[in-house]
Amino acid sequence: MTPVQEVDYILNDCFFAVGQAVGTQKSLDFDVIPWWRARYRAFFLHAMSANGNSWLRDRHRVTAVGRFLGQRALHHAGDQPSIDLRTAALASNDVETGCRMSAEREGVSTPKASQS
Amino acid sequence: MSNQESQNPFHTDVTDSLAISTETFNSPSLVEIQELERQVEYIVDDCFFTVGQVVGMRTTVDYDAVIWWRDHYREKFLAAMMAFGNRWMQDRSNVTTVAIMLAERAVRYSDGKSAIDVEAARKAAADVERHCELHARRAARRQGHDASDAAVPRIAGYWCTF
Repeated sequence: MTPVQEVDYILNDCFFAVGQAVGTQKSLDFDVIPWWRARYRAFFLHAMSANGNSWLRDRHRVTAVGRFLGQRALHHAGDQPSIDLRTAALASNDVETGCRMSAEREGVSTPKASQS
Repeated sequence: MSNQESQNPFHTDVTDSLAISTETFNSPSLVEIQELERQVEYIVDDCFFTVGQVVGMRTTVDYDAVIWWRDHYREKFLAAMMAFGNRWMQDRSNVTTVAIMLAERAVRYSDGKSAIDVEAARKAAADVERHCELHARRAARRQGHDASDAAVPRIAGYWCTF
């Protein structure tokens, strides 16, 4: 599969992982989905195209980051019944900050969320 | 699980465009097909999220199973959307309820395995689709339709039985 073909499977894998961490306590507003999809599709494609990242090699680490994203979204949602765009964006910011720090420690020159 | 929608500064036109659907969507144009192909990705993502929610931390999923579920349901969802238009915002609650069943069946079939593998994913999908078809037939009978009527898939479960 080319990166453009594979990225949709990878995003599905990641949505599953985010859902695992969110659990059934809260729902997800539908408009979060296109926002997360557009954001991480671009990051993942960059990682796969520019750096030749392999999903099967990196899957374990990236889905762990997906679960962390779910945990942070859950945290930011507080008492709200659902995860909305504001809380999703806060969670993404938390995760991407962590990923950038991790990438810098590992000496990766162009840190992206998918290179956690 | 509730499916609340909120308006906020990040609101995009995605849900607005999803609201546009037609009762009869017999021959979508190329532009409409491209739009449905874009929208079906969000719907598949939504279902993966829900299945993940229900599976929780009880187990995980093999990548082969992800590939199988995506190929299987993307095709079905797109076929349903080509026929009826995009009714996701109306049907989301019902379909995610079916996704809950899919997850529970997959966890059950993966008992004793390290993860939900493609075999468990396939078996769970078969169970869910059988349930949807039976439900559709029962609903049709209750409403006085012939169970073989072409309208049956629209009564229940057409997203996963189309």
